[in-house]
Amino acid sequence: MAPREGALRGLDRALPVWIGATLALLVLMGLPLGWLGWMSVSGESGYTLARYRTVFGDPALQKALWNTVVLSFWVGVTSVALGAPLAWLTARTDVPGRGLIRGLVLASFVTPPFLGAFAWVMLAGPNAGYLNRLWRAASGAQAPLVNIFTMPGLIFVVTIYTFPYVYIMVANTLALIASDVEEAGAILGAGRLSVALTITFPMVLPALVSGFILSVLQALALFGSPAILALPAGFHTITTQIWSLFQFPPKVEMAAAFSVPLLLATIVLLWLQKRVLGRRGYAAVGGKGGRRRVIPLGPWRYPALGACLVVMAGAIFLPYGILAKAAFSKAWAQPLTWDNLTLANFTFTFFQYSATRDAVVNTLELGLLTATVGAGLVALLAYIASRRLVFGYQVVAFLALVPVVIPGVVLAVALFIAYTRPPFVLYGTLWILFIAYLTKEMPVGYAQSDATFRGIPPDLEDAGRILGAGRLRVLSDITGPLARSGVIAAWCFIFIGVIRELSASIILFTPNTKVMSVVLFDLKEEGQFGAIAVLGLLMLALTFVTVTLVQAVLGRDVLGARD
Amino acid sequence: MPGITLRGLAKRYGDFAAVDDLSLDVRAGELVALLGPSGCGKTTTLRLVAGFLTPEAGEIRVGDRLLSSPAAVVPPERRRMAMIFQSYALWPHMTVAQNVGYGLRFKGDVARAERARRVSAMLKVVRLDGLEARYPGELSGGQQQRVAVARALVVEPEVLLLDEPLSNLDANLREEMRFEIRRLHEAFGITTLYVTHDQAEAMVISDRIAVLERGRVAQVGTADMLFHAPRTRFVAEFIGKTNVVEGTAVSADTVERGGLRLRVAGAGFAPGRRVAVSIRPHLIRLQAAATAPAGAGAGNRAHGLVRRAAFLGDAVEYEVEVHGTDLVLRVAAPVSPRLAAGAAVALGIDPAACVPLADDGSDGLRFP
Repeated sequence: MAPREGALRGLDRALPVWIGATLALLVLMGLPLGWLGWMSVSGESGYTLARYRTVFGDPALQKALWNTVVLSFWVGVTSVALGAPLAWLTARTDVPGRGLIRGLVLASFVTPPFLGAFAWVMLAGPNAGYLNRLWRAASGAQAPLVNIFTMPGLIFVVTIYTFPYVYIMVANTLALIASDVEEAGAILGAGRLSVALTITFPMVLPALVSGFILSVLQALALFGSPAILALPAGFHTITTQIWSLFQFPPKVEMAAAFSVPLLLATIVLLWLQKRVLGRRGYAAVGGKGGRRRVIPLGPWRYPALGACLVVMAGAIFLPYGILAKAAFSKAWAQPLTWDNLTLANFTFTFFQYSATRDAVVNTLELGLLTATVGAGLVALLAYIASRRLVFGYQVVAFLALVPVVIPGVVLAVALFIAYTRPPFVLYGTLWILFIAYLTKEMPVGYAQSDATFRGIPPDLEDAGRILGAGRLRVLSDITGPLARSGVIAAWCFIFIGVIRELSASIILFTPNTKVMSVVLFDLKEEGQFGAIAVLGLLMLALTFVTVTLVQAVLGRDVLGARD
Repeated sequence: MPGITLRGLAKRYGDFAAVDDLSLDVRAGELVALLGPSGCGKTTTLRLVAGFLTPEAGEIRVGDRLLSSPAAVVPPERRRMAMIFQSYALWPHMTVAQNVGYGLRFKGDVARAERARRVSAMLKVVRLDGLEARYPGELSGGQQQRVAVARALVVEPEVLLLDEPLSNLDANLREEMRFEIRRLHEAFGITTLYVTHDQAEAMVISDRIAVLERGRVAQVGTADMLFHAPRTRFVAEFIGKTNVVEGTAVSADTVERGGLRLRVAGAGFAPGRRVAVSIRPHLIRLQAAATAPAGAGAGNRAHGLVRRAAFLGDAVEYEVEVHGTDLVLRVAAPVSPRLAAGAAVALGIDPAACVPLADDGSDGLRFP
């Protein structure tokens, strides 16, 4: 029980390793954020808030701010409206195909949102959109059925890949509430409805609020979907606005000033979420045991399943279907006949078109490198923090988790400023992307590693040391083998994050350093939907293979354990 | 085989002094139990000895080797110690044989073949032969415990440290393992520190017991000594059941409380001071008032009324209200003759059964 402290005094030969890793983290986080803050207030003569005034005084930018508020709010609301019922159905009722639904939610969770947005352009673009064609053919009408290039369209597309956050929060909470808590209410005389209203609902409420906030945060930080759907529709959000400030001639200081409020909003929302979750001991509600009673839906079983599948059609079936169709057909908008079938899109993407080929290579290189360096670094950092190896170990945990509050676009602005000047001039190389990914994926990897080392009792290490093994020897003989699956999982999480990363890449790429997500954007400009579909499917395939690997290694599904 | 010397050890966690000016000598080959309630500093002391913690003051020596001081701490791996953990801390990814053999890897002079021989010999000693290839997860709690013991003993440490090693076992197994550990100690004779909060365990296993209170040693001695001559109220109450009678000294060897006067053997009270004495329940003689010989005997006498009687199988525990006082004494008496609640009784207490307690400054001495 006694708290441990660094047994460093005197003779820890590993000390340079701990200090080196900590310093690396310090530079990694401190440099860009320091520059960002400085750049937003620095003027010719000392401090100035002029840029903030310009930013918030500009009507166009105000409009972008307002659009972001509208988008985020509605994404939050609709995500709760979709995620909560789905979570309740799969966690508590006898709806058929619960495993399938959970699997589909997981698929939606790991689908890069911008791929969904591309797919929905193909499905519901006002002119060429497949659904609109079918509608015209069926009804003879001239007007399209739906137009995805609108604010509601954008909200819809963002929501179908964001509601899993609500689902995860609510499903995990419901899984923790044993039915006996509800039965305790029933035995005291509460009816079904009042049990639901007075016991179950208040216990789930923090998860709902928290899921709402996470969804809002997602929408706030998202770049891809607004860029694909809002820009053609003629409106901006904060993220696309920051990006456009980078288009020629770049106004970096303005982008910096615009980034800070987004950063602050994120910090406030995350703080709120922590508060909501932190109060009262909800995590302890279930303890271990406690059976969950299954609520029979009776005649509503199949309609309920139907409703779930409708949601998943929007998120998975239709988008994946249209991507597959586009990948294998000569003209994606034409009906799928034998004549229209082709593998040409694949040969084009992987062999003929150098831009896509190079992007695939760059992405894989960056994915492997970042995941490997990142998994090693977060393992080291989590070990340092959990074993309190350096003075100020709390700062290590804090810094490693800081990027959670940094939207990708803001991070990119910060990195751009930091690494286009000495001491590290990295802009124009893959290294700046490497640094960006490493920084951005740090929290996910760190959280995973932290859980891993918390799961290894320090006694196991102490037992090795007292028998004669030094700290590094214990690390390789005992801690390492026990942490292996956790480290592999961290590697996978980072890898998945990297291959789909768009919002930072879109600002930091140069013509020689394009990655898949960036090239997807170029292809859209060129109208190359076949190649988009092929790259998209490749991205999905890589993602699902990696997810499967994680689940095999961890022995549970990924939805279960996200904070 | 060297002994252990702790001198003026101190360790704080924030404002809390976990160990506070603690001194203790463990003789070579001796098994000393560190006994105390949770939070008394016993585990912290053990971890200081192991080298996992750095003391803020004081020294730890084994033989004439200085191992810990505020200035320098020899790391655990160079202390030639072994430790058995409360959780056993067996490595789940290693087999029984690998677990037990691990420490031998760091003994340069032990060849590989010799290692295997020593491991299997040790597994025989703890009666685990045949289970070499099992993983810890495939063993029962008692077997895991034996692996932990074997792993610690096979390296032939100079000092063995045990941190509540039996607290995860069920009651029957715990009793069995107490004797097992004592047997192994007698066989190997390793200087041992044994942390426990269970006084019966400490009494069975150890040569001497150090009772810890608030980071200090309240008293060190054999179980016998601690039981019969506790120095403080804390020790008296922690080792076995007792009655603590508080009163005013009327002479160097007599204490008075209400109408009760007790002569106390070997006391040197200052008359007029508030003092306390400990009287073990089984050292009080109890008779029905009617059958008691009037005025006979040399010891202290008192009369009272049985308030409650509880049958415990091998004895009956009575609560007796003592006439002329507000005192209720616990008395352990033979099952026969039985007295019922409400019976008038005579009590006989030898002066030698009354042990004067030093004022230890603890919250123990609460005078009304």
